[in-house]
Amino acid sequence: MCGVNGIFAFHYAANPVDRSELLRTRDHMVARGPDGAGAWFSEDGRLGLGHRRLSIIDLTDAGAQPMASADGRYVVTFNGEIYNYRALRKALEAEGYVFASHSDTEVLLHLYASKGENMVHSLRGMFAFAIWDRARHALFLARDPYGIKPLYYSDDGWTFRFASQVKALLAGGAISRDVEPAAQVGFYLWGSVPEPFTTCAAIRALPAGATLVVDRTGAQAPRRYHSIAQVHHEAEAQVQHEAAIADEDVRSVVRSALADSVRHHLVADVPVGAFLSAGIDSGALVGLMRDAGQQEIQTVTLAFEEFRGRAEDEAPIAEAVARAYGTRHTMRVITQSEFQADLPRILDAMDQPTIDGINTWFVAKAARELGLKVAVSGLGGDELFGGYPSFRDIPRWVAMFAVPSRVPGLGRLARRLAQPFAGIAGLSPKAIGLAEYGGTYAGAYLLRRGLFMPWELPQVLNADIVRRGLRRLAPLHRVRAELEPAPATAYAKVATLESALYMRNQLLRDTDWASMAHSLEVRVPLVDSALLRVVATARRRAPAIVNKGCLAESASVPLPSIIRERAKTGFTTPIARWMRDAMPDVSTSGRQARVVRARAAQPRQWARGWSEVVAERYAFGATR
Amino acid sequence: MSASTSDAGRARVLALLTDGFGAGGGIARYNQALMTALGQCDRVSGVTILPRFGAERATLPHGITQQPPAAGKLTWSARALTCAVRGKFDVLFCGHLNAVTLAASIARVLRIPLWVQVHGIEAWEPRGSTTRRALESSAIVTSVSRFTRDRLLGWSDIPPARVKVLPNTFEGSFAPRRRNFALAAQLGLVGKRVVLTVGRLSAAERYKGHDRIIRAMPQVLRHVPDAAYLIVGAGDDRARLERLAEEQGIRAIVRFTGEVSETELPDHFSVADLFAMPSTGEGFGIVFLEAAASGLPVIGGNVDGSRDALADGAIGCAIDPDNDTELVDAIVAALEGRQLAQPKAVERFAAMHFTKHVDDLIRTLSR
Repeated sequence: MCGVNGIFAFHYAANPVDRSELLRTRDHMVARGPDGAGAWFSEDGRLGLGHRRLSIIDLTDAGAQPMASADGRYVVTFNGEIYNYRALRKALEAEGYVFASHSDTEVLLHLYASKGENMVHSLRGMFAFAIWDRARHALFLARDPYGIKPLYYSDDGWTFRFASQVKALLAGGAISRDVEPAAQVGFYLWGSVPEPFTTCAAIRALPAGATLVVDRTGAQAPRRYHSIAQVHHEAEAQVQHEAAIADEDVRSVVRSALADSVRHHLVADVPVGAFLSAGIDSGALVGLMRDAGQQEIQTVTLAFEEFRGRAEDEAPIAEAVARAYGTRHTMRVITQSEFQADLPRILDAMDQPTIDGINTWFVAKAARELGLKVAVSGLGGDELFGGYPSFRDIPRWVAMFAVPSRVPGLGRLARRLAQPFAGIAGLSPKAIGLAEYGGTYAGAYLLRRGLFMPWELPQVLNADIVRRGLRRLAPLHRVRAELEPAPATAYAKVATLESALYMRNQLLRDTDWASMAHSLEVRVPLVDSALLRVVATARRRAPAIVNKGCLAESASVPLPSIIRERAKTGFTTPIARWMRDAMPDVSTSGRQARVVRARAAQPRQWARGWSEVVAERYAFGATR
Repeated sequence: MSASTSDAGRARVLALLTDGFGAGGGIARYNQALMTALGQCDRVSGVTILPRFGAERATLPHGITQQPPAAGKLTWSARALTCAVRGKFDVLFCGHLNAVTLAASIARVLRIPLWVQVHGIEAWEPRGSTTRRALESSAIVTSVSRFTRDRLLGWSDIPPARVKVLPNTFEGSFAPRRRNFALAAQLGLVGKRVVLTVGRLSAAERYKGHDRIIRAMPQVLRHVPDAAYLIVGAGDDRARLERLAEEQGIRAIVRFTGEVSETELPDHFSVADLFAMPSTGEGFGIVFLEAAASGLPVIGGNVDGSRDALADGAIGCAIDPDNDTELVDAIVAALEGRQLAQPKAVERFAAMHFTKHVDDLIRTLSR
């Protein structure tokens, strides 16, 4: 896990790469890679690549980056892990490629030499990398299928720049900070900035599951090589043409796919620990880590002083799991005063505005305090096994409102009529939008995950930004696009949307910045394209059994039943309340402070208030 | 190319231009360079130009044919439609944003890729939805500078990867030459250290910065007593500038030449010691290149396309046009012989690089 960056003066009119700019961007990411730093410049001075290293595989200098091929044709800078690198290496050695290190980085060099841009189809892992091909005079960038690892870029027409973080690119000093209206609107709609947009108009995210080529004419359009909708679509087609399989066989296939994913995610030359909550996902993963042969497992759970001895306290249940699997377990108590003390650092580390990520900040901090460099997280279990309420709500709304939503203007009229009475009747903004948005999956998803509804945006942004931002963002179109090709089942549709939008733009991005701030690599075995293929197919075959229960039973020693029962009631933390309490102090502008105080006073509005506090940090407020 | 190409895989290009061969001005010069480069591309079998303004020429560069100009918008549009339907074209080039709606319609009907060129101020402010949508339908947009590209991307939703930068180039006639003493004598500039600006004197625009330099000259004279200011170009703002020079007490050292032909321009560069144009409205500013190629130190603004012509300071000094002190300091430094830029930095804008880039860009249409 590392930080990568680069500058490519692709245009004949551009000045050569400013080396100090490359180093400024690279060293802004020191927390991503505290173990070492490297830089490489082409002989003609037109390209520079940077790297900050967190050593996890091949801890020797042979694994240092940027890494060049023996003949000097290719140079790579890479952030992430290639979990199947040993198998790839074996195949490449059979093709005659000679390796100088034991790192997964070198596999990328030879794989690109062998397969070119199609190499991405062979990779299993989380990655964001750039490979310079001197002979083609082109830079090739790629990002993993789910977008676990971030990659941002800017092309001003003369010079291409990329880095693992937006703030690192800005630290270089050469990129405009003009605010992107689509990001402003997207942030208030969803609580995170939807890719490919970023807070800066001049910087875009390379979309998850996409590659990008930069040549003498600059950055080409990103090309998608992976689509979650496509995986579900193909799984459905495959099942349609196959004979039925017994339920027990389906369970067995899912179990072995889960075990396989966990085994792959344990590849490391340093100890791999685990975040452990009282939920099924992390508990099952710890069981599978044990099955994979890991004897020593350090687990870590967050506990909150005010929950001690109360039903909300997750810690005792997590301890029961730790006992069941014989882990070395640590319960780390977080207090409100620690939260308040850390808040400035949290807001600084936050690369893109978000209303989440605080929990990950503290659990990553705790893991790092224990000396861990790598920890496994249960993130992705809800998206894979249909754990969110959205899997129930969205199909229900779509069925209920499909007809009224087809009548042009009816939904909007109903919403406008209801709007003045919503407060009196105690209706939420989402409730009055049901007839307008609830009849389609895209619209219903916007309602389910929405922070502010589109018609509420003028409360927080000026009208011109709302108009321009909505036009550029095209939120419903963007949601619909993730459903192409459309899966047939409700589960697959919601799973696709939750994975391609909420998980990608919020959970994975937050996990990246919040863990990297503590120089901790978080691995997510339930976010794995190979596993997705198996689970999508299995779920289509046997919807009733491929669920969280199946995950709970996947380890040879199943999870204690208390966890499965407890999981149904959900979990909570006091962090939301702490955020609410902190809002008036953190907010800087007068108008904001007033609004924020008003929102802070309403428990259910904390996320909206928090979004305004966070937005101030990104100059979103300044344009109002 | 999306359509089948006509001549063994090579594309035929129809170019709808405001200013073609035989027309004058910055846009005409840019178009002529671009059409010449297109005609030289391996992937292009020929370019047919339909200009609004221009003149028939006995000889045109290789691969280029030009229809007679049709100044009237309606006539020109009708001819464009007829020409597009009758000819078998593979690429449609649109040389001005004002014609993009017509061009996009033609490209859509013929199902051929559209290449749109944007120059400067016309692309800076938001356009109506019809123009915006037409622009967004283009396969490629080339902008003369990063600044114009940035402004265009601010108001249109075209994917940034489709908007490329194709800067101005300069002709080989601009090169260092010995001072033309006869011209210097004629202009009364013998023994003077001369600051030169070349550009329109437009009362409607007033962005070139002539007035900024006139206001700076009294300060400059304190450090460089033999300094003078030479203004090349004509326009309806001249009287105001002359009055301003009077007010500043420097009328005696300011020379107005009026209009100067392109062939006479190199000699005017030769009598100067510095080219300065602290402008705020340049799409690019080809004159910076011509001055630098003529061996002059160059000063320009840092708030518009001038930044590109100055190559972020490599070719010339980029100053804040509204900062009088910066301007005075830069002029004094240049007139005192201190180096403002990297020698030969302007060569990056030579025609050979421009031509190669046009070739690279036409290839992107077949990706």
